[in-house]
Amino acid sequence: MDTVKFYLRSMKMQLKCQLQYPASFLLQTLAQLVMEGGEMLAVILIVDRFDHLNQWTAGDLYFFFGIMSVTFYLTECFGRGVTGSFPSMVRSGQLDTLLLRPRGVLTQVICWAIDPRRIACIAVGTAALVMGSRMAAVQWTFLKALALIEAMAMGGILILGLFLIEGIFTIRSVKSVELVNALTYGGRSACEYPIDVYPRPLRVLFTVIAPFALTLQCPAAYILGKPLYGWPDWAAFVTPLSGLVSFSALYLLFQHAMRHYRSTGS
Amino acid sequence: MSYIAVEALNKAFTVRKKREKGRLLREKSTVQALKDVSFSIEQGELVGYIGPNGAGKSTTVKILSGILTPDGGSVTVGSRVPWKERKEHVRHIGVVFGQRTQLWWDVPILDSFSLLKDIYRVPREAYEKRLEALTEALQLTDLLRTPLRLLSLGQRMRAELCGSLLHGPELLFLDEPTIGLDAVSKLALREFLQKENRENGTTILLTTHDMEDIAALCPRVMVLGHGQKLYDGALTDLLARYDTDRVMTVRLGGDLPPLPPCCQVQRDGENARITYSPEQLPTADLITLLQAAGPLREMTIQGQNVDRLIAAMYREMDL
Repeated sequence: MDTVKFYLRSMKMQLKCQLQYPASFLLQTLAQLVMEGGEMLAVILIVDRFDHLNQWTAGDLYFFFGIMSVTFYLTECFGRGVTGSFPSMVRSGQLDTLLLRPRGVLTQVICWAIDPRRIACIAVGTAALVMGSRMAAVQWTFLKALALIEAMAMGGILILGLFLIEGIFTIRSVKSVELVNALTYGGRSACEYPIDVYPRPLRVLFTVIAPFALTLQCPAAYILGKPLYGWPDWAAFVTPLSGLVSFSALYLLFQHAMRHYRSTGS
Repeated sequence: MSYIAVEALNKAFTVRKKREKGRLLREKSTVQALKDVSFSIEQGELVGYIGPNGAGKSTTVKILSGILTPDGGSVTVGSRVPWKERKEHVRHIGVVFGQRTQLWWDVPILDSFSLLKDIYRVPREAYEKRLEALTEALQLTDLLRTPLRLLSLGQRMRAELCGSLLHGPELLFLDEPTIGLDAVSKLALREFLQKENRENGTTILLTTHDMEDIAALCPRVMVLGHGQKLYDGALTDLLARYDTDRVMTVRLGGDLPPLPPCCQVQRDGENARITYSPEQLPTADLITLLQAAGPLREMTIQGQNVDRLIAAMYREMDL
């Protein structure tokens, strides 16, 4: 409870910080809108040309795009400390400051930053989600709503975990590894489309290594009434837990790396 | 047992060098930052920790405050092992790094303090009482609503100090707290630290290159060089060992007479600066020599300043 209070207070403060520069804030939010709008435009163009991709209709495609986009940018918005600041905090030695306080390191890293500009991306994603659900004529039930919430929560946790990888590398070598972006940002861009349109290596990558297909797409397909690979309905509630599993494994690695943290000169 | 007990502390860092031409792998070398360092500090002591750059001072402080894990040796601070019980440990300590801010850059410092209160779980009444006392002592009352980025260096340092003392730590680490401060701010800061030590019994370990800070604040100093402890005791005793030379500035009516080879002479217009050691050439003898050559119009005698003495000490210790 106390941690939640700490998080909310930090968020409030971060928001205050961001709003110190209102013009810059507005412009950057606008830029985000254009950027994410562009991504959505790609889906619109595909739908315009082909009207379906494999078994997926236009509505389905918007839905897939929307669920990925909303999940990813909600995570970036509220977990910016992990997705953005963490590696540079290690490099600059700012992490020392966090270690001097009686709170968990990861908690403090999450509390370190938010990115309210992402609200523009979240808005685009939400629009796609609503549009997709309308066009695909999804009959919403309690279970489907539950599946959506679980998928987004687990997807968010998975994304946080994947972003931890860069931090872990940075702790060990005080050097950032851009390769990890292939999993995070690459995963976002690739998995805005249903996984079964991709060749096998990519399917394996985003099912086994960075399981976006399991956390987000399996439930999404269930909601749309076209189970992924013909899996049974209960799979839509079980496979997202892979997000939690990945996060736990990466969190343990992170804890291990912290023991070897060597700070920087001062 | 002592409040801080450090026994045979060791810490090494692996440094990867830049890859040389024609070699496949980068060379690695190990730098021994701390070699069998042992000391103990009692509660309420004010200890200066000095040594040239790269001696291992910051490494010691980082181990004592739980940031780094040592390779060997044992450390207890008030019966806690810092890196094993980090969260419990840091609740009781305060740390100020002179070159690294712990407050939030863009918000008024009062907001930073209030968030620190939540982080350390300080009860409201205790926080308000402490904040009032600290802001008054550190003259921060008028600055509470100013964002950190608008404060001057001296003001920022006072704010940092306030932030690190809000939770009433029993132990305070200060790493170069007076770096870049003007004379007035320096004096005020020293006075504040003395008061904090006297009235709240806060144990303070001060790392600095400013010897005046040490001379003014710390009855006890520890000297570290190449990762080893070289001296532990009173500053005055340490200085007495190296405080052998005097500088005499004279203005003579006539020419300077030939002086014994143990004297060094520097001419500056009509003035002459003579560096000599009273052990080898008593001051009275020198004056007699000078007076024989002509009327001695003016004369001042100075000791070496502390920085020179420390430099002489580092030289002798081969640092």
